[in-house]
Amino acid sequence: MRAALGRPVVASGALLALLLALVALFAPAIAPYDPRELAGPAFESPSAEHLLGTNDIGQDVFSQIVWGARPALTMALGASVLATVVGVAVGLGSGLLGGAVDHVAMRVVDVFLAIPQLPLLVLVAALAGPSQVNLVLIIGLIRWPMYAREVRSQALSLRQRGFVQAARGFGGGLGYVVARHLVPAVGPLVVLLFVVGIAHALLLEASLAFLGLSDPTAVSWGLMVNRALVFPGLFFTSYWLWWLLPAGLAITLGVLGFMVLGVGLEPVFNPRWRRTG
Amino acid sequence: MRQSTTLARPSPSGADGRTVPDPSSPRPPGGLEGELLCAGETAPGPGAARRSPPRLLASYAVTVFALLTLNFFLPRAMPSDPISALIDAESPSYVQSAELRAELERYYDLDRPLVEQYMAYLGGLVQGDLGVSIRYNQPVSELIADRLPWTLLLLTSSMALAAAVGLALGVHSAWRRGQRLDQGLLTFFLALHNLPVFFVASLALLVFSVELGWVPLGGTNTPFRGLDDPLSAGLDIAHHLVLPAVVVAAGTASAYYLIMRSSLVGELGADYLQLGRAKGLRERRLKYRYAGRNSLLVVVTWSAMRLEGLVTASVLVETVFAYQGMGRLMFDAISFRDYPVLQGCFLLLTLIVVSANLLADLLYARLDPRTAA
Repeated sequence: MRAALGRPVVASGALLALLLALVALFAPAIAPYDPRELAGPAFESPSAEHLLGTNDIGQDVFSQIVWGARPALTMALGASVLATVVGVAVGLGSGLLGGAVDHVAMRVVDVFLAIPQLPLLVLVAALAGPSQVNLVLIIGLIRWPMYAREVRSQALSLRQRGFVQAARGFGGGLGYVVARHLVPAVGPLVVLLFVVGIAHALLLEASLAFLGLSDPTAVSWGLMVNRALVFPGLFFTSYWLWWLLPAGLAITLGVLGFMVLGVGLEPVFNPRWRRTG
Repeated sequence: MRQSTTLARPSPSGADGRTVPDPSSPRPPGGLEGELLCAGETAPGPGAARRSPPRLLASYAVTVFALLTLNFFLPRAMPSDPISALIDAESPSYVQSAELRAELERYYDLDRPLVEQYMAYLGGLVQGDLGVSIRYNQPVSELIADRLPWTLLLLTSSMALAAAVGLALGVHSAWRRGQRLDQGLLTFFLALHNLPVFFVASLALLVFSVELGWVPLGGTNTPFRGLDDPLSAGLDIAHHLVLPAVVVAAGTASAYYLIMRSSLVGELGADYLQLGRAKGLRERRLKYRYAGRNSLLVVVTWSAMRLEGLVTASVLVETVFAYQGMGRLMFDAISFRDYPVLQGCFLLLTLIVVSANLLADLLYARLDPRTAA
């Protein structure tokens, strides 16, 4: 872990993720204005008073960017936790129990994986109503099958290993083996899936917001991009420079931060990467 | 950076629960590029690659049936009933009268038992009946039929572009692994693969359409050009297509690049390459005809799997460029809560992806000499 953090790639990813977390945590202290407050005239250019200018109704863009870190992070964390928990439970259960349970679970996973994610997300979010809680549930529940498949294949190979067989041979119950051997063994993989999952959830949430499927009362980056882009003739003005660009960059940096962190951690955490020795 | 030959590869197990390492598995060799994509982005389609065609077809039939069923039950499983979903408070067609509601329920057969509704739904689908759009008051199948060719055009052209660029650079990069060019390309494509595509599309629109004026601002073709000759009409369509196609292709080109690179890096020490070198074959021939070709098998299967990502990107990109395909149709349907249209688009896009997967699975069985027998 320490060795991994020493690599510049991982360090930069970790730094971005940390920055995002700090901004989200201290949003009230950092942001000069309330993000919903009409802080000045519409379409102010960036100035000392409004670092990134104001939007179409005179809200401070910088403050919105800062406050936007909160829903972005909480939703991505929530969706990733949900996907990881369900995926690990199904994957472990499926891999260990085998037989009919495994067969049925994997058929369900197959069907989910065959569906293009975004159209399904759009349909479900439109039907259920795009509140923040709903979006966390929807994104989490659509992403778990990928986790399940990874964890299952890991569990299957673990089941054949000597130490697991030995524990079973000495009379260790299923629960004991899972808690004592399997959870620690798949732990690193799960951490990895979780980190990468945050990046994907951020991206999906922003994509849905861009399509108009987000909580319209929230202050979020995706919604800012959406509002800017539906503004007629945006690109023929210079407003995009401080209205669209910062929000898009915030999303990009957030996604890249967690993704790079995941990529950097992979050699350490993914069991497929361990040398046969 | 890394040599993948010595890495452990436990169980690339498919859906059928094989646990032995499977040399012909469609999954790419282990490693950062391959695995992370697998974990996060894509996974093998319903059929594991080495089933007999009848079993393969059966497994896909189950998937399609499950999809149709999901499409039927989704609106009915939501907290609000289908009628509220159709005409909820946010929708422009909000109605509150109980009589009208009852009338609507009768009209959509919602007063009948669920099983009957389900059978009627399946029967309708067989005849191509996808319901009626709320906004346009027009059969959904007609709306989709208008848009489908544009989406297919966008998908196929961007896939061809992505494959050409991604594969060529992947071979090139693997051949020089560890060198600066390789590291640069790897970093570039890893970043490109995870950029928010709608943001990239907006910037591309700004730079190439608004500032430089190289391509039109949006749409699929210039309207009212019916009298023009086919050649200039075709050029006009291509002119509108090029920017959206490049943006859609970007993310998928990275996937191709990463797969090709990681799959080839594993081949570099192979005996047949050493032999070729000893025989005095030229590097170019070794690179593309020998090593590149050997890795193509992986790529064929991946092409179909990547279609999922292409579909997602095309929905977003069509929206930015006002490209009149199914993605844009979906976007327009969102603001109008036009659920029948959303469901129809979802169903069709999914069927496209699933049939492409089936095609790849069948093709794979033919291409792999180990399974061709």
